[in-house]
Amino acid sequence: MKKIGIFDSGVETPEEIILAAGFISHRLFGDPTIEPDKVNEHIPPTHCVWTRNLLEQAIRGLDKDIVGIIATHGCDRTNREFDVWLKCINLDFMFFLNSPLKRNKISLKFFIDDMKELIAQLEDSFSVKVSSEKIKEAIKLMNKVRSLLMEISEFRSKMVLKGAEFHALVKKVQQIDKNEAVKLLEAKLEELKTKKATINKKYKKILLTGSDLDDTEFLEYIENLGFQIVIDDLGVGTKYFWNKVDENKEPIEALAKYHLEKPIHSTKFPSYERFDVIKKLAESYKVDGIINVAHKFCEPVLYDHPYLSKKFKELAIPYLFIEIEYNRESYKQLATRFEAFREII
Amino acid sequence: MSKEKKSGIMLNATNKLKNEMGRHFLAIEQAYRDGKPTAWATSGTPVEILYAMDVQAMLPENSATISAALKQSKNFIEIAEDQGYSYDLCSYFKTNVGAVSSKAEMSVGGIRKPTFMMSSDVICDTHVNWFQVQAERLNVPHFTLDIPHVVSNTNNRQREYFKKYVKEQLWELIDFITEVTGHEYNEEKAREVASNSYELGKIWQDVFELRKNIPCPVSTRDTFGGLFPLFTMPGLKSPIKLYKRMYKEAKARVNAGVGALENEEFRLIWGGIPFWFNLKFFSNLERWNAMIVYEPYVYAFSKYTNPNITKDDVLKHPVESMAELVLSFWYIYDLKTRVKKFKETIKEWKIDGVLLHNNMSCRPNSCGQYDLKRILMEELDIPSLVITSDMNDPRKLNETQVVNQIESFIEILRQRKEQ
Repeated sequence: MKKIGIFDSGVETPEEIILAAGFISHRLFGDPTIEPDKVNEHIPPTHCVWTRNLLEQAIRGLDKDIVGIIATHGCDRTNREFDVWLKCINLDFMFFLNSPLKRNKISLKFFIDDMKELIAQLEDSFSVKVSSEKIKEAIKLMNKVRSLLMEISEFRSKMVLKGAEFHALVKKVQQIDKNEAVKLLEAKLEELKTKKATINKKYKKILLTGSDLDDTEFLEYIENLGFQIVIDDLGVGTKYFWNKVDENKEPIEALAKYHLEKPIHSTKFPSYERFDVIKKLAESYKVDGIINVAHKFCEPVLYDHPYLSKKFKELAIPYLFIEIEYNRESYKQLATRFEAFREII
Repeated sequence: MSKEKKSGIMLNATNKLKNEMGRHFLAIEQAYRDGKPTAWATSGTPVEILYAMDVQAMLPENSATISAALKQSKNFIEIAEDQGYSYDLCSYFKTNVGAVSSKAEMSVGGIRKPTFMMSSDVICDTHVNWFQVQAERLNVPHFTLDIPHVVSNTNNRQREYFKKYVKEQLWELIDFITEVTGHEYNEEKAREVASNSYELGKIWQDVFELRKNIPCPVSTRDTFGGLFPLFTMPGLKSPIKLYKRMYKEAKARVNAGVGALENEEFRLIWGGIPFWFNLKFFSNLERWNAMIVYEPYVYAFSKYTNPNITKDDVLKHPVESMAELVLSFWYIYDLKTRVKKFKETIKEWKIDGVLLHNNMSCRPNSCGQYDLKRILMEELDIPSLVITSDMNDPRKLNETQVVNQIESFIEILRQRKEQ
């Protein structure tokens, strides 16, 4: 089955439309084991390390089944770099989706218009029909995926499932056929139901937030230092399955609404509302602390950090801010900061 | 290579710029004395709507450049960094945070608490984040405009609903201003403001037309500073007079065959925002008989560059026209349009070389420069040089390295002329 690749620094791409067009939705992730090389001819090294990595991979060669790319507006990187992708990538279908910055009635209408344009261009490029019925079916399938992930997610706070293992699962689900994903998640859920809490109870329970962290090894690295990620506020995490799309509404409107009503990302306005979401999660999951990780040059997260730091200080919730390069060698230098944080909480 | 000191001549009219900017700052002071509403606005937003609704505009970016020119920006930036704002964030933003935190005077780039703030993401996300930070700190209402991003393959059908979206938000903005200030939108006043803004932009474009002449009559000594009324006073009458004087004087130079630089040899484009803390850098190019004759950033703010928008449209439908204009603004052109526009400019302004500022504080504008550089070389055989620095943070300019780069670049241009 052919795939449509997703370049998104949030998670606001309506995968249901891709499924309804007969493709696998396949989110593009970085590969921290590769060094920037060809990308240096296009994007300066002082720009977001993660999106540079994505372009590096794309220039070297995308998955052979990918027949098109949808870049969804997350931050400035997506729209500006999309033009460079158009120069570097030889695919017939390349669409930039303007996921709105704001969340109100006017932006909802606009998002619906933009999704309709996406559908029109998919139909035109691939000679397919993306009917409302097919989108409704895809919504049901994606809602099933979301429900399963919601349930599995809870095993993190029950100290049964490592945060890193869950992260790997969410990541995989974002790339594979969604019927396969349902089977995978159902099997995982059954397995978890039989398992006991084996994770060391002395581990500090944390909430992980920040840039769209996609290197599972980084999460493993954190947890190996004596933490358990019991909850998160990430695209490869709760933002992917926060709630469900309304199955009784007109499907495109329901999709637009779903994405605009999700917890806000730092890339959207007003991003300060992110504090309320994190606070609520931190309280519900009784975390010992919050770790906010920014990829180097990730401006939206860098802008929000002092505000979050101030607010969590007021609430006396321990908060650690870390900036990371997108390569595994650099993680080692962070051990002292994580260990010191573990000590103080 | 000759390195002796050479000085280009500034237009006499540019000396009046200080008075014009002084008038702007006096109007701000007066607004506070009279209890008139004031607003901070980011560049690229429709400042005309503020003037049409009798709100005094203030542009923190403009204030930040003053700090830089007076060698104060570094101090302010470091204050912001002490408050947790990263070294990698926008230096205009940090200058503003530092200046406001330290209650700096307007004369050194300080800026007073406004009645409300108006931002948009037309140029960058930073504008929205910046005002979110400051609106929360100063406890003032903030309205942001979401401008859809036009990319290289955006089609006309998309442009239509983009325009509709922006137009609806502009009306929403007008309602917001009424709610905050009690001032109603007046169509007649809006037309008057639009007419002034249009005239200001068009005269600025006329000045640029004169720069096509060899020798070029107007240098960056006039344009970088001369730009500010376009930011801060679009819609007012007084800067029009100043621009008319600039035009008249430049025209006289053209008629007399006099250039801003005595021996103009190399005609350059400067792509990006200048180093406001080191404007001397640009006049130093004159040592090599090199002259910047076009700056897309400076031209962009003349605003009325879309041929589909006529004066008649602007006067009849000021808000609707504004919606179209913010989507077709030189500084934010998608890469395909940017390349096309550079190619046209190189031809019309008879350009020998292009300097591109990889501005660490304006990543959106810097993105695509490497491709632009390569295309200009491959398709037009025009050399370009990418210079990495910053618009407001002097710590990010390695002057010796940049001067060496420029020297080698000029040498290349010289050799090509001699061939």
